[in-house]
Amino acid sequence: MTGEKGNKLARVIPDSDLNGTLAADPKLDSTSQKRIGDQLRAMYDELMQQPVPDRFKNLLDQLEKKDRETSHDSGA
Amino acid sequence: MTPEPDLRDALLAAVPSLRAFAISLSGHVDRADDLVQDTLLRALSNLHRFEPGTNLNAWLFTILRNLFHSEYRKRRREVEDPDGSYAGRLKALPEQGSHLDLEDFRTALATLPPDQREALLLVGASGFSYEEAASICGCAVGTIKSRVNRARSRLAASLDVGDAEDLGPDRMTRAALQSSV
Repeated sequence: MTGEKGNKLARVIPDSDLNGTLAADPKLDSTSQKRIGDQLRAMYDELMQQPVPDRFKNLLDQLEKKDRETSHDSGA
Repeated sequence: MTPEPDLRDALLAAVPSLRAFAISLSGHVDRADDLVQDTLLRALSNLHRFEPGTNLNAWLFTILRNLFHSEYRKRRREVEDPDGSYAGRLKALPEQGSHLDLEDFRTALATLPPDQREALLLVGASGFSYEEAASICGCAVGTIKSRVNRARSRLAASLDVGDAEDLGPDRMTRAALQSSV
């Protein structure tokens, strides 16, 4: 019995399933799905809100500049 | 190929989501930034292969994912990367403000098999459809659905079953750290 552990979040699937030995996909109830989804997005949002490191702006600016110079040269 | 101003902006706009994906995938900020840089360079040198009007982000994610996997395979041959080290690195990320349950979440995410983690990140966090995720990963839509389901169930199980052996030491360490503060 897996439902006897006092799980507050989810109905837990049998251990054998965690090892990938069962063919059927486990299904979570929607409350658990939502909680997992919320936490995943919260974690992701934190990462998304980090400032873009300058190296990427510089990289793209450099390429743009180089490109403008070469097209100017070839046009002259 | 020429990065036109629009394209430059589009690429720059894609960087935060590429980084978030790369960091979550690799568990390592420096490595993630190298991955993003390589992705941008490869995208720029392959612009002729991008079909205008299609999803630029999906194309960039495909490049990043392929780079990650070829690098991962290479590294794996060189150094055996024990499962636990990913969790350790992720926890060392500079996000001091995060709540403890997010930290639990990161730890749980780190224990997922890479293919499940990847599928969950694409569908559950990066906002791709199952179909887009399948094309990014080069597999069937059903495979993605199955991986996402398994990932969710596994996360629910490890976040919930606090007395599971593999989570025990971590929780005890954290409890000890907290009570000593």
